[in-house]
Amino acid sequence: MSLIKFSELFCDLDSINSTNNKIDVLKSYFLSNEPIDNSWAIYLLTGKSNKRFISGRYLKNLFSQIYDYPQWLIDTCYLKVGDSAEVITLLLKNKTTSRNKKLSNISLNELLSEIIPNLSKLNEEEKNLEIKNIWETLPEDNHLIFNKILTGTFRVGVSIGLITKSISKLINIDEEIISHRLMGDFKPSIESYEFLINKNINQEELSSKPYPFLLANTFEDKIFKDSINDFQFEWKYDGIRIQLIKRSGNVSLWTRGQELVNDSFPELVEKMSTIKDDFVLDGELLVWNFKEQIAFDFSFLQKRINRKSPTKSIQIKYPIIFIAYDLLEINGRDIREIKLENRRIELEKYYLKWQNKTKNNITDIFKTCDLIFPKDWTDALTFKEKSRENNTEGLIIKNKKSSYTSGRKKGIWWKYKVDPMQLDAVLIYAKGGSGRRAGLYTDYSFALWKDQELIKFASAYSGLTNIEIKELDTWIRKNTIEKFGPVRSLKPEMVFEISFEKIQISKRHKSGIAVRFPRITKWRKDKKINDADSLENAYALMKKIS
Amino acid sequence: MRNKEEDLIKYKDGNLYCELADIWIDPSKPVKKALITHAHFDHFTFGCEEYISTKETAILLKERIGDNIKIKVFDYEEEFKINGIYISFHPSGHILGSSQIRFIFAEEKWLISGDFKLQKDETCEQYKIVKTDYLISECTFGLPIFNWDETKKVANNISEWITNSPKKTSLLFCYSLGKAQRLLNEISQTNFKGNIYSHGSIYKMNNCYKELGIDIKETIKIENKKNIDELKGSLILLPPSLSKGSYLKNFKNIQTAFASGWMSIRALRKRSGYDKGFAISDHADWDGILEVVKKSEAKNVFFHHGDSEALRKYLIEKKSINVLLFGK
Repeated sequence: MSLIKFSELFCDLDSINSTNNKIDVLKSYFLSNEPIDNSWAIYLLTGKSNKRFISGRYLKNLFSQIYDYPQWLIDTCYLKVGDSAEVITLLLKNKTTSRNKKLSNISLNELLSEIIPNLSKLNEEEKNLEIKNIWETLPEDNHLIFNKILTGTFRVGVSIGLITKSISKLINIDEEIISHRLMGDFKPSIESYEFLINKNINQEELSSKPYPFLLANTFEDKIFKDSINDFQFEWKYDGIRIQLIKRSGNVSLWTRGQELVNDSFPELVEKMSTIKDDFVLDGELLVWNFKEQIAFDFSFLQKRINRKSPTKSIQIKYPIIFIAYDLLEINGRDIREIKLENRRIELEKYYLKWQNKTKNNITDIFKTCDLIFPKDWTDALTFKEKSRENNTEGLIIKNKKSSYTSGRKKGIWWKYKVDPMQLDAVLIYAKGGSGRRAGLYTDYSFALWKDQELIKFASAYSGLTNIEIKELDTWIRKNTIEKFGPVRSLKPEMVFEISFEKIQISKRHKSGIAVRFPRITKWRKDKKINDADSLENAYALMKKIS
Repeated sequence: MRNKEEDLIKYKDGNLYCELADIWIDPSKPVKKALITHAHFDHFTFGCEEYISTKETAILLKERIGDNIKIKVFDYEEEFKINGIYISFHPSGHILGSSQIRFIFAEEKWLISGDFKLQKDETCEQYKIVKTDYLISECTFGLPIFNWDETKKVANNISEWITNSPKKTSLLFCYSLGKAQRLLNEISQTNFKGNIYSHGSIYKMNNCYKELGIDIKETIKIENKKNIDELKGSLILLPPSLSKGSYLKNFKNIQTAFASGWMSIRALRKRSGYDKGFAISDHADWDGILEVVKKSEAKNVFFHHGDSEALRKYLIEKKSINVLLFGK
């Protein structure tokens, strides 16, 4: 019966607006279902996988063949519904009730660990038959879940934070711990669920996992009222945020998107391994101009991010550096609770020790971030304006008395960007270009989050290099959900930094805002779609400017 | 495009018109003679010299536009003659008193479906198949994604929605005539046994239904700023026009839902602003329209009300039925 339970859960989460009610619904789901199914549920709800097994187009073609519906009719329906999985679900209604076959009560685990993976092993004809068979034996209320998982479009209004809260309340253990347990890889299994709900906290179990990242909020003017001495000032580097972990002698590099990127930066892994102590550092990875002691542009870093096992010559051509700004753990001792100013002292102390005691020179790949000491807020603003000169994005302003908590809690870290007219947005549509760009998808539309929905807010076509355009074009062709004439709707997966000149209220747009001269300034391959900005951020930006 | 001189029913100024009898069907402007299929606001207008309808429609109509109108009533299937044309009303199953209207002249039959549904509804007469040569059908839900669930199932979902939140007041928005009474009838047969309140506009229609012999559950008329605290766990029926604006401030701790066929689509549900949507309609779904087209044995079909392009193309391609377009 458990797939029906999961369908009900989906339905509930989809229609409930209150966070507390969502938590209650999740808790009671976890309590009444098998650990293995709970594990899969968490896997799906946290968006750990949005693998597409079959495209929406394929599914619609298949439906058209089996039930003798003209393709154009299905396309017309799609225009009304906007989601292939749902169109098929609605079309299947009452179609399968006249069947004589017995309905099958499968579990979420069976669906995800057997039925769907098996589909990819079949040839096309067998696969089509199997899908038809599932449609006709699956209870109607499960069709939407099945079609959505199949097409990789399962999304519902639940964040990782909400799952974390629910589990935390379920077993009465601090959210921080649950959040930590959910970091990194999550392979659905009985063990992974039992680990998640284990009431005994064991530091060692978490040893392979990064800590939940502390994220900065956008600076608010009210901070000007506080004393300048309450804060630590750093440059806001424009690199990849990395948690560099060395435990039991093993070094691992985790990105904020919870990806392990050791393979891309072997020289850093090698150097850090030579340090005697164990530690967890939070910092920024950059391609570094050693001559001028400033960061190279983000585009240099892009040459390194996706390249696994880079050759020596690449390593020399694009030399990297890890700039540490925080020490979270030292020799197995979690020091996140200690005040920032004291963590900073520890960081400097250990860095000095490692510099002197490590055989190899570590300073050519690892340093601590420099601090800035503005006299007053006016001085701080002057520093901020200078940040472009040294290729940084502005300032990071950290509360000296704060401990290192997870997530984006207000009042701990602030980011104060020199150019505030920027938002990270998700690519959702692409359109073919014309003239020199004909045959390539070069006109893009970007969206911001509103609750759990992506709302289009700007279109842009400039800013990418020709090589990037080609790369993105290839990706677009592989990740199209739908085509409407020259426009393709895309799987939400790619995040871009969009810069613009002006932002104002607009009733003509669904987003309620209009921006002037939007352009792409960065392809944020290091970010996942959940890291993209929300419409709320855009409104906040507008408020600040006016 | 069709508006042939010899056609018995034509499309004129956005309305259906029978020239030979000089009679309009559900006109949107005042005319001399108006045949009214049913008493929804978008099917009649004030100020016609004479109205003709079923008895039930006449009573509902008077409730809505006043007693001092000239109105002639006929029973279902009772033929009357105007200028040599035989005209009769037939049950369309949409709401109480709703009808299809058939015209017979020179052995040619024309049928105007009115708004109709095939689903069972205890608060009105069941749809009756009428054979015709020409069919003019409504097409509100003319896409195959519209497949209504059984009414019992939806009613049970509504009942669960209310009983699962005993601390809340459940506001269910629905059209005040027809839908509200059908929901009352269905909900009173579910496990929900709490109080049901209705807004004045709905309460008034409930009384009309009762006077016409329809057995529906007694509701409490909701008064402003009164008994707000007693409303916990109960159901309140309200017209959709009150869903936006300050009216909701009269209540505390609420959950809202809309009962409409459009609620079968997730995107519309989300966009509607209601917490929940229940897909229940007094119009025919895709299969319902196809069934009526088939069983009416019409050789020629027109559609109005709704986007009929897909349905038209489908009938021509797949069913070889001659679907015509009205000339403007």
